[in-house]
Amino acid sequence: MSGHVRVKDLRAGALKEGANLLSVQDLRTYFPTQDGVVKAVDGVSFEIEAGRTLGIVGESGCGKSITALSIMRLLEKPGRIVAGSISLDGFDLVKAEESEMRQIRGNDISMIFQEPMTSLNPVYTCGDQIAEAVSLHEGKGHRSAWEHAVKMLHDVGIPDPARRATQYPHELSGGMRQRVMIAMALSTDPALLIADEPTTALDVTIQAQILELMKGLREQNKMAIMLITHDLGVIAEMAHEVVVMYAGKVVERSDVNTIFDHPHHPYTRGLLSSIPRLGEKRKRLEVIKGVVPNPLNLPKGCLFQRRCPYAMPICSTPPPFQEVAPGQVSLCWLTPDFKPPAVGADAPAQIAEEAAAALSVAK
Amino acid sequence: MDSTVNPTLAHRDDAEIDEVDLTPVRTYWQMVRRRFLQNRLAVVAFILLAVMIALAIIVPTVTGDAYQKTSLLNPNGSPTTTAPLGYDDIGENTFLRLMKALQTSLFIGFAAVSIIFVVGVSIGSIAGYFGGWIDNVLMRLVDVVLSLPSLFLIIMLVAFFGTGNAWVIIFAIGLTSWTTAARLVRAAFLSLREADFVQAARALGAGRFRIITRHMLPSALAPILVACTLGVADSVVTEAALSFLGFGISPPEASLGNMMTNAINFMVRQPMLIIYPGVTLILIVLAASFLGDGLRDALDPRQRVEG
Repeated sequence: MSGHVRVKDLRAGALKEGANLLSVQDLRTYFPTQDGVVKAVDGVSFEIEAGRTLGIVGESGCGKSITALSIMRLLEKPGRIVAGSISLDGFDLVKAEESEMRQIRGNDISMIFQEPMTSLNPVYTCGDQIAEAVSLHEGKGHRSAWEHAVKMLHDVGIPDPARRATQYPHELSGGMRQRVMIAMALSTDPALLIADEPTTALDVTIQAQILELMKGLREQNKMAIMLITHDLGVIAEMAHEVVVMYAGKVVERSDVNTIFDHPHHPYTRGLLSSIPRLGEKRKRLEVIKGVVPNPLNLPKGCLFQRRCPYAMPICSTPPPFQEVAPGQVSLCWLTPDFKPPAVGADAPAQIAEEAAAALSVAK
Repeated sequence: MDSTVNPTLAHRDDAEIDEVDLTPVRTYWQMVRRRFLQNRLAVVAFILLAVMIALAIIVPTVTGDAYQKTSLLNPNGSPTTTAPLGYDDIGENTFLRLMKALQTSLFIGFAAVSIIFVVGVSIGSIAGYFGGWIDNVLMRLVDVVLSLPSLFLIIMLVAFFGTGNAWVIIFAIGLTSWTTAARLVRAAFLSLREADFVQAARALGAGRFRIITRHMLPSALAPILVACTLGVADSVVTEAALSFLGFGISPPEASLGNMMTNAINFMVRQPMLIIYPGVTLILIVLAASFLGDGLRDALDPRQRVEG
């Protein structure tokens, strides 16, 4: 593994809390198809600090999972990272060799998949599967790997772990299986955990337990979590920072309180107002009208314009990233107080571009 | 985690957990054995095959080359204690010949299936895992092999490399019969490749070889196993056909095929001479098929043990 110093070894010393563990810059993952190029992820940037949780929100098909798979370099053909960099503590994963990626996967970065029912191999016991992850990376013998697996099962709150380890996935309930998945992902003590909708397939009680568990393990292991979900409740519970994605682009990025208290992008506002609230006067639930645009036929300019209640002529020009408040950026023409921009609603595209350059372009 | 749980509920949870814990722990092989034993037909087939294998190993080893000994004083002789199935037209002990023939046939069957297994699984898993042009090339190769009339090809190979040699027959059968296994493995791999648990294994940092052998092959094993047990039956029949046509094992060596060839001349006067090897052949084929079915069900960990 020439060139690659394991993050794990560095973490104790060089990588302090507050330093960027993962930095994704202008990531573009495209899928060339017969009908055209699908830009599943188109210029996504974000950072995750060690020990913190980044939430990625967005509706189905907005590129959340493809972002995660790009970081893991597990894209299915014909998907390909065409531009951008993914830096794990200074090591560029986009340029990494496949053999180096194999060392990183499951070791420095672990992933929990959405479907606990199908993500475990039906022909091996739970203990075997966790032990495999351990022996793949830690070079432990079968016996000590198995003991470690039992300990991991205990850590994720499974009663009678020694017996559960000898059972097959079909003998466990959904919540148990998701715990086994988490135990497997955490068994190598990764620096970054990517959780792709870890609780979507679970009922609320189990969901709460799993989130609590992940929180505890985050504190205990000082690991960073990239939490992908479309459930804003989970985000409110878990995340420190939030990235809102829409049609392959980041449309808003800020800390979790700001997103819930002062959302700026109309899409984020739409997402938040479409959550039913307890104790509110009964009225019809607001929804975002329309559907995500066809990725092969995206609108010119702002991708959200066809569904946006604030849409104005200037929206046919790609909006800039503007810093609407300290630490909050939004991909929208609206001023921080939701006024049309000063350039005027009917300004020709050229003027609009100058305005875009003039507005503080946040990176 | 349970600190917020209502105490009465927490108490109930404990009780339920205790109850669940009463179920006995069974290992994988204990479950396999249990499931297998529930399938009566498979158990009978297993016992039958085991008896035949035991006889095929023990009897010729103990009696040596007595099966080749002719006794012109006793052609078509009646059964005696040393020759429970009587004698054939040149006074050879039919029982001893049958046991030797059983040995030859089973050996050829299992050896040919080993080749079928190795070649078929390798080619099928490579084609199914990598897909794309590799899959295309390998599957066209399968098509080519399949398009050749296999018995004709086997006869050609045997005629070219020498008749009467068991190893030539084994390789000829092996090299023409791996296609079914390869297709089965490929089909299983095509769907397994997309399985979440394979993606999860990749995310754990497992390499290709490990994913193919450890994570995908076991799930594809059930159809392969059935194909292989049927392959044993097929190979035994093919060997018999070859010997029957005179391209296989020739006398004084014994095989089920050449025993039948000889017996055909005396079919009316001595029908038992053709019935013995014929019934043996049928028993091998049936036992192998039923055993394959039983194993397939027993090895599947998703099947539950009943009762």
